[in-house]
Amino acid sequence: MPEQKQKNNVGEYGVGRVLEITRVFDAPRKGVFAAWTDPKQLAQWWGPTGFTTPVCELDVRPGGAILIHMRAPDGTIYPMSGVYKEVVPPERIVFTATPLDKDGKAMFENLNTVIFTERDGKTTVMLRVEVVKSSAAAEQYLAGMEMGWKMSLDRLEAFVGKN
Amino acid sequence: MTSDRLSTTFAALADPTRRAILARLISGEASVTQLAEPFRMSMPAVSKHLKVLERAGLIARSREAQWRPCQLNAGPLKEVADWAEHYRKFFEQSFDRLENYLRGLKEKESKAKDLTQRKEQRKARRSAEENKHAGTKAKK
Repeated sequence: MPEQKQKNNVGEYGVGRVLEITRVFDAPRKGVFAAWTDPKQLAQWWGPTGFTTPVCELDVRPGGAILIHMRAPDGTIYPMSGVYKEVVPPERIVFTATPLDKDGKAMFENLNTVIFTERDGKTTVMLRVEVVKSSAAAEQYLAGMEMGWKMSLDRLEAFVGKN
Repeated sequence: MTSDRLSTTFAALADPTRRAILARLISGEASVTQLAEPFRMSMPAVSKHLKVLERAGLIARSREAQWRPCQLNAGPLKEVADWAEHYRKFFEQSFDRLENYLRGLKEKESKAKDLTQRKEQRKARRSAEENKHAGTKAKK
């Protein structure tokens, strides 16, 4: 086994990690943009299957605040706060998303960039999520996240499959 | 998995030496001496790291053999990987729901459009008939 570099960069783990998702919706851009920026509409679809959104406050303008409470099917509430950085209707929104722990403390901060483009009445939504900040509490989480990504997942899964 | 257990796993993973030890164990079991080799580190220091990994359930140590080989226990790692995929799943499922929501809107809209279209057609028919009547009356 080659010698491992003993870098002490735990604080950087996860920061800069980027996730990109693109999806085409069969609807005009104006409508898709509204679904992202009208709290009543966002509450209809935000979150995984089976989740509801009992609190959805969106002050859609640069510097405006976001507060979303997601409710899991088991009743657990997952609060999230955020701030809009850019709002360019109906093309683009940039906002931070900060999941809060049960004491209301920030676990980490993601920067979300959503770009809407329309073609033939269909709208492509490009979402980019970047981890921009990690608190002391999240450091461990994020370190683990990077561990998960760095190790060859295929190899790991093959290994897990054998167990 | 509870978040506390996840915290224990992540705390154990937050150290480069421990990650290197785990990476080594992917290729098979090893003794403490073998694990200590690549690091300029005392055996007690390595043992300390192993204890953290063991507590987190990331490794298991055989009690049978005298040299007590360490083995990787990938269960918690799998859970970490799942957690890493959390965001993707979150948005994939949200997007599925958004798709359904937008489809619902479209259907509502086209129904409303149909209704107004039918209303307008009726109106047009009526006024055409009235015109016809007016025409026949005028002839008389």
